[in-house]
Amino acid sequence: MEKKKVRIGFYALTSCYGCQLQLAVMDELLKLLPRAEIVCWYMLDRDSVEDEPVDIAFIEGSVSTEEEVELVKKIRENAKIVVAVGSCAVQGGVQSWGKDKPLEELWKTVYGDGKVKFQPKMAEPVSKYIKVDYNIYGCPPEKKDFLYALGTLLIDSWPEDIDYPVCLECRLKGNPCVLLERGEPCLGPITRAGCDARCPGFGIACIGCRGAIGYDVAWFDSLARVFKEKGLTKEEILERMKIFNAHNPKLEEMVEKIFGGKSQ
Amino acid sequence: MKNVYLPITVDHIARVEGKGGVEIVIGEDGVREVRLNIIEGPRFFEAITLGKKLDEALAVYPRICSFCSAAHKLTAVEAAEKAINFEPREEIQALREVLYIGDMIESHALHLYLLVLPDYLGYSSPLHMIDEYKKEIGIALDLKNLGSWMMEVLGSRAIHQENVVLGGFGKLPSRETLERMKERLKEALPKAEYTFELFAKLEQYGEVEGPITHLAVKPRGDVYGIYGDYIKASDGNEFPSGEYKEHIREFVVEHSFAKHSHYHGKPFMVGALSRLVNNAETLYGRARELYEGHRELLRPTNPFANNLAQALELVYFIERAIDLIDEALAKWPIRSRDPVEIKDGFGVSTTEAPRGILVYALEVKDGKVAYADIITPTAFNLAMMEEHVRMMAEKHYNDDPERIKFLTEMVVRAYDPCISCSVHVAKL
Repeated sequence: MEKKKVRIGFYALTSCYGCQLQLAVMDELLKLLPRAEIVCWYMLDRDSVEDEPVDIAFIEGSVSTEEEVELVKKIRENAKIVVAVGSCAVQGGVQSWGKDKPLEELWKTVYGDGKVKFQPKMAEPVSKYIKVDYNIYGCPPEKKDFLYALGTLLIDSWPEDIDYPVCLECRLKGNPCVLLERGEPCLGPITRAGCDARCPGFGIACIGCRGAIGYDVAWFDSLARVFKEKGLTKEEILERMKIFNAHNPKLEEMVEKIFGGKSQ
Repeated sequence: MKNVYLPITVDHIARVEGKGGVEIVIGEDGVREVRLNIIEGPRFFEAITLGKKLDEALAVYPRICSFCSAAHKLTAVEAAEKAINFEPREEIQALREVLYIGDMIESHALHLYLLVLPDYLGYSSPLHMIDEYKKEIGIALDLKNLGSWMMEVLGSRAIHQENVVLGGFGKLPSRETLERMKERLKEALPKAEYTFELFAKLEQYGEVEGPITHLAVKPRGDVYGIYGDYIKASDGNEFPSGEYKEHIREFVVEHSFAKHSHYHGKPFMVGALSRLVNNAETLYGRARELYEGHRELLRPTNPFANNLAQALELVYFIERAIDLIDEALAKWPIRSRDPVEIKDGFGVSTTEAPRGILVYALEVKDGKVAYADIITPTAFNLAMMEEHVRMMAEKHYNDDPERIKFLTEMVVRAYDPCISCSVHVAKL
């Protein structure tokens, strides 16, 4: 039975374009193509149309200008399913790391007194403005994240979130522990798995690029306690955990708990 | 009301990295104004990393751009190591350069085949070329996969590498893996040469022919490459990298979240073509032969020659990577990293990213970033690019607007702009 092609749009907000790049250069993409019609994907197609109905909209990037606020609303109206792709779209990205500084200060540091005719704003996740149906995590997402999401969505199923940490994958791989054996501030215990503990596998402490595990099981407090025992200050712990989780509503309060509200 | 002065606008230039547009205002007397609108939001990288721990800032900088994340990582790490007064061992430096070359190969292959070639073959997207141009798409993916794999092996992944750390690498590949890398590079050489022959046949538009000032990093050891401590200009000038601010002025323009740059008051070009213009005498091997045989096509006066220059570099850097791996293997077994002490200091690194000169200036104080200035190749190129878009539009302002859009987009694509890179920019 001939199935109707699934109409797909790929839209970019403010980002490094790495999620699209990861997807664009997958040999596997060529196999999925016959099932899909690409309506909008500026990075690869000059005939892209932004304002057209699609079945699935993939959005990369954080909302970082007023123009992008309008764009995501338009994408939502046009799409049956919206998928936020990558840490910028899902969590606001590393550009949210400066969230605690006023926008005017950031602007002044970089642009001085220069004026630009577009309206910038502090980076925010897509879900702040529209309903997001599914997320693909990572900075960048792994190829298999894309395969899983596309594969399930193309057969009218959906991608399920992973609910266990990088730390678990790392233990299963038998890597030496970067946190306990080497004393480095590894974020593996609070970070969503799916990367096969890529960085700890290279002996590098996880910086949390896939974002904190959902379902309220990211134990920022327990990990903060371990970090504290290793001599990190509250500020140092917060800074590190915020690289990819600046918008997480639980983070500060849970870390505060370990420091008893008092100064470190 | 209808009039002939409606601006010709491309809201979103396709098949480039990032989000930018072209706006051309035409009047009775010809082109009145040309603007490259850079509308992607600002990300304030220099500002958000101020006061942050050095290693964490170094993990964040590559996120400026996916097409050249290894370039950002390696340049930032070099600036940081200069700031803390640490010099990596030769074999570590050689392997870092191999990683950088992985980025170069991936980026050039992607740009040439997936972003540029469809224009010449009459397609809107490489995805539509698969049936008709199986061989070309196959070569594109083979070269791209080779570059990605080199970055995975040495950098931990193809985008946003974490394996480069102060003092060396987190973990080094095995000797066998490096031997295998050499084999794969050798297998790829004919594909790179095929790419060069293919692009040597493509039209270079005479409309934009004219004098261009080219800037490039002067390679260390007089071997064509990526790292260097001086910047060379095609007007004969040469200056230490650390003095970049005395020669290059950055300024804000209101139609762009990316700043523009002038060298001695004028627009200039950086990138593969600029490297060839300034450093061709340091090429060797097959690439040198190809260069000598195609000097007319690789002329400094046409930005479209940048495409062919990238194809030539595919050949060169494949051969160069093999030699660099041999240099590292000659010292095998090697330690992955040396201990570093995070002292206070200031360091500038200038390297040749796929799209041209990349500058990182970092000051470290108490283990934290006290000052950061990053200037990317696309930010350097924007003013010149706008000039060339104007030249193209001026020659065609009576043509069908669709034709004008197409040709001006092609000019932009020849520069291989990386718009995400350009938006984030420097402290004034």
